Amino acid sequence: MERILTRNVDKENAQHLAVYESVGGYQALRKALSSMTPDALTDEVKKSGLRGRGGAGFSAGLKWSFMPKEVDPKRPHYFLINADESEPGTFKDRLLMEKDPHLVLEGSLLGAFAIRASVIYIYIRGEFVHAARVLDRAIAEAYAKGYAGKNILGSAWSCDVYVHRGAGAYICGEETALMSSLEGDRGYPRLKPPFPAQSGVWGCPTTINNVETVANVPFIVERGADWFLSVGKAPKNTGPKLYCLSGHVKRPGVYEAPMGLPLHELIYELGGGMLHDDRPLKAVIPGGSSVPVLRADECEVDLDFDSLAAKGTMLGSAGLMVMDSSTCMVAAMARIAHFYHHESCGQCTPCREGCGWLERVLQRIEGGRGMPQDLDLLLSVSNNIIGNTICALGDAAAMPAISFVTKFRDEFQHHVDAKACLTGTVALQGVR
Amino acid sequence: MPKLTIDGQAIEVPAGTTILQACLQRGREIPHYCYHEGLSIAGNCRICLIEVEKQPKLVIGCYTPVAEGMVVHTDSDKVKQARAAVMEFLLINHPLDCPICDQAGECRLQEYAVEYGDGTSRYTEPKLALSKAIDIGPHVTLDQERCIQCSRCIRFCDEITKTGELGFFQRGERSQIGIFPGKRLDNPYSGNVVDLCPVGALTLNEFRFKTRVWYLANTATICAGCARGCNVVVGVGKQQTLMTTRGQLDDRVKRIVPRVNEEVNGWWICDEGRLSYEHEQKAPRLEAARVAGKETAYDDAVKAAATKLAAAAKAGALGVIVSPRLVSEDVFAWKSVVSALGGGAFGVRSLLRGEDDTLLIRADKGANAQGAAWILGAGATERAVREAVAQGRVKTLLILGDPLDAGDSAIVEAPAGSGPEVVYCGPFASPSAARASVAVPCASWSEADGTYVNFEGRAQRVRRCHLPQGEARPGWRVAADLAEAAGAAATGWSSAAEVLAALGRAIKEFEGISFEAMGLLGLKAPVAAGV
Amino acid sequence: MLGAEFEKRVDALVARYPKPKGALLPVLWEVQRAKGWIDFDAEAWVAARLGLAPAHVHGCVTFYTMYKPRPMGKYHIQVCTTLSCMLRGSDELFAHLQRKLGIGSGETTPDGKFSLVRVECLGSCGTAPMFQLNDDFHENLTLETVDRLLESLP
Repeated sequence: MERILTRNVDKENAQHLAVYESVGGYQALRKALSSMTPDALTDEVKKSGLRGRGGAGFSAGLKWSFMPKEVDPKRPHYFLINADESEPGTFKDRLLMEKDPHLVLEGSLLGAFAIRASVIYIYIRGEFVHAARVLDRAIAEAYAKGYAGKNILGSAWSCDVYVHRGAGAYICGEETALMSSLEGDRGYPRLKPPFPAQSGVWGCPTTINNVETVANVPFIVERGADWFLSVGKAPKNTGPKLYCLSGHVKRPGVYEAPMGLPLHELIYELGGGMLHDDRPLKAVIPGGSSVPVLRADECEVDLDFDSLAAKGTMLGSAGLMVMDSSTCMVAAMARIAHFYHHESCGQCTPCREGCGWLERVLQRIEGGRGMPQDLDLLLSVSNNIIGNTICALGDAAAMPAISFVTKFRDEFQHHVDAKACLTGTVALQGVR
Repeated sequence: MPKLTIDGQAIEVPAGTTILQACLQRGREIPHYCYHEGLSIAGNCRICLIEVEKQPKLVIGCYTPVAEGMVVHTDSDKVKQARAAVMEFLLINHPLDCPICDQAGECRLQEYAVEYGDGTSRYTEPKLALSKAIDIGPHVTLDQERCIQCSRCIRFCDEITKTGELGFFQRGERSQIGIFPGKRLDNPYSGNVVDLCPVGALTLNEFRFKTRVWYLANTATICAGCARGCNVVVGVGKQQTLMTTRGQLDDRVKRIVPRVNEEVNGWWICDEGRLSYEHEQKAPRLEAARVAGKETAYDDAVKAAATKLAAAAKAGALGVIVSPRLVSEDVFAWKSVVSALGGGAFGVRSLLRGEDDTLLIRADKGANAQGAAWILGAGATERAVREAVAQGRVKTLLILGDPLDAGDSAIVEAPAGSGPEVVYCGPFASPSAARASVAVPCASWSEADGTYVNFEGRAQRVRRCHLPQGEARPGWRVAADLAEAAGAAATGWSSAAEVLAALGRAIKEFEGISFEAMGLLGLKAPVAAGV
Repeated sequence: MLGAEFEKRVDALVARYPKPKGALLPVLWEVQRAKGWIDFDAEAWVAARLGLAPAHVHGCVTFYTMYKPRPMGKYHIQVCTTLSCMLRGSDELFAHLQRKLGIGSGETTPDGKFSLVRVECLGSCGTAPMFQLNDDFHENLTLETVDRLLESLP
């Protein structure tokens, strides 16, 4: 299989401009600026079928087409790169930024060109200190070579690029919360409409894309939309994909494959199989912790947007967390619930109050202090959150809870009734 | 104008109206906490979730504009379920403070819990504990536990006063309203956050634990604090079971809150106005008439005053200083009566203090300065009268309404035997009253009906909130009694409304002004001039 | 507040945004880099410099978990405990650190050398268990490698 997105990550000094250029880097940018219009570039990306790699899977080209086709001088266009990568199980954007920052930059510049942006902010999570430094150095190199700044490559188009570090808030990966945070506010998601393309940061037309999404764009420009359509499963699940494998496997890590890699192949071939040969697969969360869990018997599935949706879950951020037979599903869900409780921004009632409630009930059940009505209570509280919140974090907390309790009900029931764990793990006492 | 259907009823509303606004305008309540007409839309409480056909999820009514052909259900099973869910979420960490919380009786958490909640609690976990009774400003106390994070108070300080004292600190479930250490919530409008707070998280220090709101008798009237004439509701005690030690009903003013008038004060009132009743309550009242310092029967005092004033008027030596807080009826009554007695030099006190601000506060603290000027003429200044006193042309001074302060040495503290003779007709037992040879008690601002005209010429109705104390009567009544005692023609007035009618016939700016016409929101005068 | 060099860096950051408030997070990072943590005086300074209400600045400092409103240890150990790390032994790792350092989550050793805190997913699930020590990720940890690392720190 040809490595596309990850072709440079193992190369020595791939972060440096000279190395990136030596393998053809920035040719796409040259081609776009010299022979394409912004709208033609948008059309090509739309045609390619590239869908957002941050979690929502929305057509990138379509999103770009929402931007105004002319720039009002009082309302410049902004391109925001969502490098907030905080979805549990996900670590692919970090790999690209640390090992092939110029790929990310070139993709960003192409996107900015397509939407007629004059500034790119790369919003990177605060914890990625190393990646931010690598990006800063790459940006300096890009400016020096004329790939960023005024009149890029001698064209009429100018664009600045800045790294903007977050400071510890998963919610800032939500695009409207990212905008709030960039503007210097608490990371509160915003009501929609207006949509970012109408009014985003500082009231100006804005587009937000994930790191991996923009990393695909140089290849689409160089090789064409038809090539992109030939990778993966056309028409709606195309292109190369980075899969993040973690948990109870022998070789966790980022694996690239054409979109639609079978889950079994990822775990048993690329991932080296289960961590302990005597502990078989029990469950997989396929798309970062915000998506419903799959039982082992549900894991005959291709890892693409539509196949996973058909199974009642999602590809999401492609953060695959593999659990073997030693995993107490109650403990796992309690840990997931803790995550959302910790990360809820607190703006709206159902999520602010509901996430804490879910965690507390799950901790009681985990610790052997569950009550008979608790399982139905978890389902009820989760359903009361879903659809009633400002953003999807509430849903992201509720859907896993519903899927865990539904698919592993016997384990939860055992914790409640017998105050013991079916996996043999000693039930933890007390609250964290 | 889009046509849509709400709960089966077809309506038509201007484009841009939200579903919530469309319902509220038609008197149909959709529960809401964070929405407030005078502030930006936050959309965070989620209690206003309603069903719009063809939408995949419930939508918040406060933020969703109406659209042509929209079909809305505000009471379907899905909506009921969502409301019950939001109520349950709000209550799980909310402290059960009702027995000690000021908000009880006007608390939307209580009301919506009864209306839309499930009636039971499924929550068995420990409740979040935060700080209570935090002193955040001279007038406001914060209870972080009671807060439902609607953000109204923050939006008020950001958008209206633009002082930004309040903010959310921490995150998620631990989000709490707070103030920066060392800073105080002390902008001139700080009390409004107490009105805005739907629950008892923000309480007014001057009202805390004073009374239960269901023991308040409320009257819509006008603030007497400045020439803006903010529309207010005054709550006086009506606590039958709790008597003072003298066995009397405690019907004092307990609080003032603003009421909405988009032409005058919007939704707000300044702190000074909110607490202006304290001015009345702290000053000692003139409860009985006095002649030569001795308590005297009302009729005898009026007769004594009439004699002195008539004599001074006939001699052309009568001066009258009028408080600009007097209602127009009183001002007109005194003008008519003094005229009937032989005339006098009128002067309206100038109560200019500080500067106009950009919001509501006027430098002119005379709530009826404009009304008085229309009745007495712009040249009727206090300075002119004082000069006449100083030059000895005015030998008898009638002081109406607010007394002159101690420190007014030329008049109030004049050495014995010097200075003019003073007759005081007003509410307070003040140095003026003590100095006066005759003092007749008059009703204070909260004790009589009348008309204030604000600085923009809006005539607004002042209403009696409680009975006058002691022997006090409305000022126009005292003037009428005095005229009769002096043998002048009977005025025939038996109510403030009749005085106002006479005023309307005599002064052109007041033509067409009546209590009915002013209603709750006032009337821009002059009406007749078609302005 | 922290010298002319510091203020020049702040000016450069402010220049990157159309409104000064946009520079808030970067400026707070500069303050924390210079002072080790962010106290109320610093918040007031930042507020004045950027034209913001101090309550707004404090609201941001307390919203974003990486800003330190009080001094932490010289070596600030942030252990990831979310699901993937939990599956690979982060709880045992944390318990080990707790015992070894004698402190709990959010606490600092009396000599000020180490502080320890449980954090959420650090985006390093493929190399779990792991922690972030000040700016650096330490991955694929075992109890032994942790012990050696801590001993090596001056």
